[in-house]
Amino acid sequence: MTYFALDTWYQIVRHIRTELRIPIWIVVNLSQPVLWLLLFTQIFKSTFAIMEVDYLQHFAPAVVVMTVMFGSVWAGMGMLEDIQMGVLSKMLATPVSRLSIIMSRVIGSMVMLVVQALIIFLIAVIMGLSIASGIGGVLFTIFLIILLGMGFSAFSNGLALVFQRQETLIAVINFISLPVMFLSSAFVPPDFLPRWLQIVRQGNPVEYAVLGIRSLVNDGWIWDNIWKVLLALGLWAIIAITFGMFMFRKQTE
Amino acid sequence: MSIIETHKLTKVFPGGVRAVDSIDFTVEKGEIFGFLGPNGAGKTTTIKILNTLIIATSGSAEVVGYDVARNPAEVRKQIGYVAQDVGVDEHATGRENLTLYGHFYRLDDNTIKKRVREIFDLVDLTGYENRIVKTYSGGMRKRLDLAMGLIHQPKLVFMDEPTTGLDPQTRVHIWEYIRSLAQNFGITIFLTTHYLEEADQLANRIAIIDLGRIVAMGTPTELKKTIGGDVVTLSPCTSDSQSCEKFIQDAQEALMGKQFVLRIQPMSEELAVYVNDAKSATPNIMRILANKSIDVETLSISHPSLDDVFLKYTGRTIRHQAGTATSYTEMARKHERKQS
Repeated sequence: MTYFALDTWYQIVRHIRTELRIPIWIVVNLSQPVLWLLLFTQIFKSTFAIMEVDYLQHFAPAVVVMTVMFGSVWAGMGMLEDIQMGVLSKMLATPVSRLSIIMSRVIGSMVMLVVQALIIFLIAVIMGLSIASGIGGVLFTIFLIILLGMGFSAFSNGLALVFQRQETLIAVINFISLPVMFLSSAFVPPDFLPRWLQIVRQGNPVEYAVLGIRSLVNDGWIWDNIWKVLLALGLWAIIAITFGMFMFRKQTE
Repeated sequence: MSIIETHKLTKVFPGGVRAVDSIDFTVEKGEIFGFLGPNGAGKTTTIKILNTLIIATSGSAEVVGYDVARNPAEVRKQIGYVAQDVGVDEHATGRENLTLYGHFYRLDDNTIKKRVREIFDLVDLTGYENRIVKTYSGGMRKRLDLAMGLIHQPKLVFMDEPTTGLDPQTRVHIWEYIRSLAQNFGITIFLTTHYLEEADQLANRIAIIDLGRIVAMGTPTELKKTIGGDVVTLSPCTSDSQSCEKFIQDAQEALMGKQFVLRIQPMSEELAVYVNDAKSATPNIMRILANKSIDVETLSISHPSLDDVFLKYTGRTIRHQAGTATSYTEMARKHERKQS
């Protein structure tokens, strides 16, 4: 157990160091959410005015979720590189804890996402966002997006192990990620969605993250909403991480 | 004392391919053991069973005293693995790569620092510790790869085609490291190769593997002996082809039936004399021919090569099938194909 924790830590350091060594990657990742926030609020401003919805209050939570989702769903690419370069098989011949290899990737990919989420909140507050649940609510939001992001990261790593080909992984992730975003109330208020979408979104982890964060930002600490979101995202994280670990076990033994 | 011992080791892949087919062998402590065979013969599969990466379908293997299937954790602690692909992290520095492995082998920080210094020195990479591996040349990467399998001072190191894809100069360089590991540190080395020259140069003992089976095993000298001695090739010819034929005939008659001659094979312009030991036979041949006043223009001695051995046991030459992976992308692609 201690070795699992230690090995996970050493590899998290490795993954974050790798990310930080690509300056353009940091610049793009930090500026992208800002761009989305500015762009989307401009695009939908007038539409939302007709619906009598405050676009910033509605949209800022969605941009946070979107950033986390698109940021974590590609996490499997790093695993794929390790497989193709022979890094993984070399590692597996050492006494390293097996599960630490995948868990370090899942946890490591969260660090940058948390920073991105905090930047979005900062910019949004400057633009005039008011957060009903205060600083505590922002921290709780971070906890929710870590659950969401770890789920997508583990899912993506699992897919990488299933397909083991870059082209396939890219195609599958592209196929999944955009619909998952649109099958939620991220872009459009729930009341304006068609009936079938009202049902489908109940099974979408992205929807729960959007609802939870939106509730914290707009309504404050409404525990009736929060526990449901917590349960759904916790379940999502557990299922996705189990899937990732299972695929890892299967491919490496 | 043996450090590897296999018993009827077999691996059947889904689809029925018998990659390794009931092989038995032992590797003694301190020796360099060469596993020689063409691509697809089952070399990598054997290594991956022995270093716990895959599980055998049947049979058993003991490595450093532990059963690989029942006690893989103990085996991993004591072995080093240098894979065919250079499995180093390109985005990290040499030191970071080595340090990570030091942690994996549960070494403390001080030991890691000390060993990193020693090992960089050993593989001639001192001064490059803090450079990103992406900036390393192919040979440097291979040396770092080698070093990563050594940080915990293993008793046994597996090397899967350690010089495939390297240029000849680098290859000779890597050979020197491998030899010094065995000689100076007493590390047992199990290496696979499809280069006959490599097996001949490095290995104390060789097993020739073809289609998942061991077809011959022994020291390079023993294996070559099974071919039946050295060849002394005489050419008594100058330019005159008529006198040439006569010379060949005379020489053949003169040498026929001598005790040290195994076989004589006249060819168009020369005469091949098969003998047990060319060193002692050559003076005798020269003396006999001189007594008969037969002038020899040129003489050459050739020893049987492992190529001949391979040919004898498999009916094919290895050169025609040897892989020609030259770049890392190619190796990665090959790897990818293997996985899918």
